[in-house]
Amino acid sequence: MSLQNEEVEVIIKVKRFSPEKGNWWQEYKLRVDRFTQFTEALRRIKTEQDPTLAYRASCHMTVCGSCGMKINGEPRLACKTLVLDMVKKYESNVITIEPMDYFKPIKDLIVDLDDFYQRMYKVKPRLYPSEQVLKGEAEHRLKPEDQRMLWKFAQCIWCGLCVSSCPSVRNDPEFLGPAAHAKGFRFLADPRDTITEEREKILLDSAWRCTYCYMCYNVCPRDVEPVTAIKKTRAYTKIAKVKTPVIETGEKHTEAVFNSIFESGKIEEAKVYLSTYGLIGSLRDMIFLLKSGKLNYALIKEKPVENITEVRKILRGE
Amino acid sequence: MEKVNYDVVVIGAGLAGLMASHEIASAGYSVAVISKVFPTRSHSSAAEGGIAAYIDGNSDPNDNPDYMAYDTIKGGDYLVDQDAAELLAYKSGEIVRILESWGTLFNRQPDGRIAVRYFGGQTYPRTRFVGDKTGMALLHTVYERTSGLEKVDFYFEWFAWELVRDESRVRGVVAFDMRNMIPVFFKAKAIVIASGGMGMLYKHTTNSYINTGDGYAMALRAGVALKDPEFVQFHPTALYPSDILISEAARGEGGILRNNKGERFMARYAPKKLDLAPRDIASRAILTEVKEGRGFPGGYVGLDLTHLGEEYIKERLALAYEAAKAFAGIDATKEMIPVRPAQHYYMGGIDVNIEGRNPDIIGLFAAGEAACVSVHGANRLGSNSLLETLVFGRETGRAVVEFLKSYTEPSSDIDKESEKAEQLAYDVVKRESGVHFGEVVNKLREVMWEDVGVFRNEDGMKNAISEILKLREMAKDTYVLDKSKVYNTEFYNALEMKNMLDLALVIASTALNRKESRGAHYRLDYPKRDDENWLKHTIAYLRGNTVEITYKPVKITKWKPEERVY
Repeated sequence: MSLQNEEVEVIIKVKRFSPEKGNWWQEYKLRVDRFTQFTEALRRIKTEQDPTLAYRASCHMTVCGSCGMKINGEPRLACKTLVLDMVKKYESNVITIEPMDYFKPIKDLIVDLDDFYQRMYKVKPRLYPSEQVLKGEAEHRLKPEDQRMLWKFAQCIWCGLCVSSCPSVRNDPEFLGPAAHAKGFRFLADPRDTITEEREKILLDSAWRCTYCYMCYNVCPRDVEPVTAIKKTRAYTKIAKVKTPVIETGEKHTEAVFNSIFESGKIEEAKVYLSTYGLIGSLRDMIFLLKSGKLNYALIKEKPVENITEVRKILRGE
Repeated sequence: MEKVNYDVVVIGAGLAGLMASHEIASAGYSVAVISKVFPTRSHSSAAEGGIAAYIDGNSDPNDNPDYMAYDTIKGGDYLVDQDAAELLAYKSGEIVRILESWGTLFNRQPDGRIAVRYFGGQTYPRTRFVGDKTGMALLHTVYERTSGLEKVDFYFEWFAWELVRDESRVRGVVAFDMRNMIPVFFKAKAIVIASGGMGMLYKHTTNSYINTGDGYAMALRAGVALKDPEFVQFHPTALYPSDILISEAARGEGGILRNNKGERFMARYAPKKLDLAPRDIASRAILTEVKEGRGFPGGYVGLDLTHLGEEYIKERLALAYEAAKAFAGIDATKEMIPVRPAQHYYMGGIDVNIEGRNPDIIGLFAAGEAACVSVHGANRLGSNSLLETLVFGRETGRAVVEFLKSYTEPSSDIDKESEKAEQLAYDVVKRESGVHFGEVVNKLREVMWEDVGVFRNEDGMKNAISEILKLREMAKDTYVLDKSKVYNTEFYNALEMKNMLDLALVIASTALNRKESRGAHYRLDYPKRDDENWLKHTIAYLRGNTVEITYKPVKITKWKPEERVY
């Protein structure tokens, strides 16, 4: 048994930026083998070809979260991506590297992450244990299954890839973004924490602003699944004391979807819309639908599915 | 130059630096934490296996802290200061309890208490862990906790460059804001250097790219000694070419090292223990195979798990399997994992006592891998590095608080000195043409790897010293092509190069001086440990191109040196 390893020449095109010169593309040729990570490719470019190329990288093993960038348009960690894997996937020896989207560029592949950090700080990213435990008078116990569930969401390495690719972040200034929600939920659900009510206030309204597009799920290099954290956070709505209009609408929508499926086994768009937004809100939107000639679609009357009694049993949890 | 005032400046935002900052700020003093990277990106995050701790009521009933201290001392080949090892062991349980109370998600036993597992060199199991990402979990916890304190200001993506001192005291540090290259003089009553290790001095290292030994060099240039700088730990099985650690567990579970002929070559080097031979022997064997042409192109051997079967590999060696897949594109159930030795840890460091206090300059402290408390001696045990950062980070923080309580303001003006420090930085890079940092650094890393690495002998180390001196000469003509002031990483890489060159000379010179083999320091020309002449710490100062070496005794409390056999 031997290890097959051939060198291949690739062209790496880097989208560069400096405040003085603006944007330009620069090409680097180098030979890589099947083991070469993009962090190593960049290090070689910088020490052997072009010392001016600026990028962040540190641990090269997916724990420090420094090297988020776009490789062939995909939001990725450079360390967790092998050069030849991208060559194979795109059937081309030419590969592009660009800075992450959304964040302000500073220099070449380095972007300003302050926006990201501010989002994280908003969710009070630390445990608030009881005074007794802090003083060492009492001991925390934690069930192994709780530890496992929380650790999944605690593994965020603050790389920013999810925020850079989240459409809700761009469109809704009130939305905290995926990473902050994963972090927030990790403490909200921690039985050792003592400020649950405050966390609900911080997280719940924002949780209902996510569109469930799953970009964060797809790009997270540590499989944190921020969208799952958001779903689990929404479940706290039932016990929450203070509710904003966004939360109320979200709750109504969930209920409407449930009722629609319970009645017909399908989602009846018009009904769901009406129960979510109320008569006046719906009528106003109907005018827009009418203008664009799409009202018919909203008014389709759905017949119940054949085995509706089975559907209802499932929904009742029987 | 712009000036800011703090009670204390902590250089480095890894576990040791943050823990020290926490202690100091909690006592009401102002702290500036300066780090090249955002705190959670520090190298502490890369620690995998766990943190050793004897926890009263949650340890093996036969275990006690003295056994733990003994394991540490024996593991360090008796170059350990035994009072430090005792402190480490006796405080270990408390430290883990504190981190748990701050939120670290330690793996649990069915009854909800913290779980434990064995690690190399432990008489009883003591390693506490968070999956295989213990360092990351601890670092995030301590950062989360510390960032909630009012008295701590974080200066991340700032480059701490040069200490400023007067006759007897440290007075501050000059640091650059990496975003705009503006230097700032951080005036402080005390400085804690907690800037981590120096793996980038070696061609092959499991360390982060940021580990360029800045703290050691900064201390050396300020006239501070390094202790035991010749002791560098190498790990035999780092993944090729990324040098990500493949745990010893892979060999423990039956993995076999093979050369390009498919031979189980360990049979030649350790006929009885075979692939389970200690780290240093396995490292030497792999390098010998490669040197004699039996490695694979690029310089590695294969770690063969294929005979263990897919199910067994995925269950028992999940970590090795996943790392090989993610970072080398290797399916370890079908192919061998490409491995080679790599630098892993630095036992040497800034000379401090068990309070983290340096004897050369008043007000200077150090903690973590940047410091040499002499708790690891000639060879560190697994799970002891995370523990050291937290225990001695806290001890150091406490010592700083005590120091501040009786502090009196010196009258002399120090601002001129800070201007000199700034000038020194520009002197490194002011030329318009000449050599680029990458050439010097890549050459230096090769020299250190070849001649001051796993194998050492007189000729090699003499050659290394002369090569390093040549590189230091060459580096006087360093130029920086990037003239921009915005996030000029090339400028900082050039400063790092200067730091690496200063440290390299000290390592090579002290290694040449120690004429014995002990722990990680292995000399082909002196293959035996020699307690009669060499049971002592090296103390090294750098004066220009000269390394001044003295020695000081090892502190022995309870345990007489004996042969290190396992």
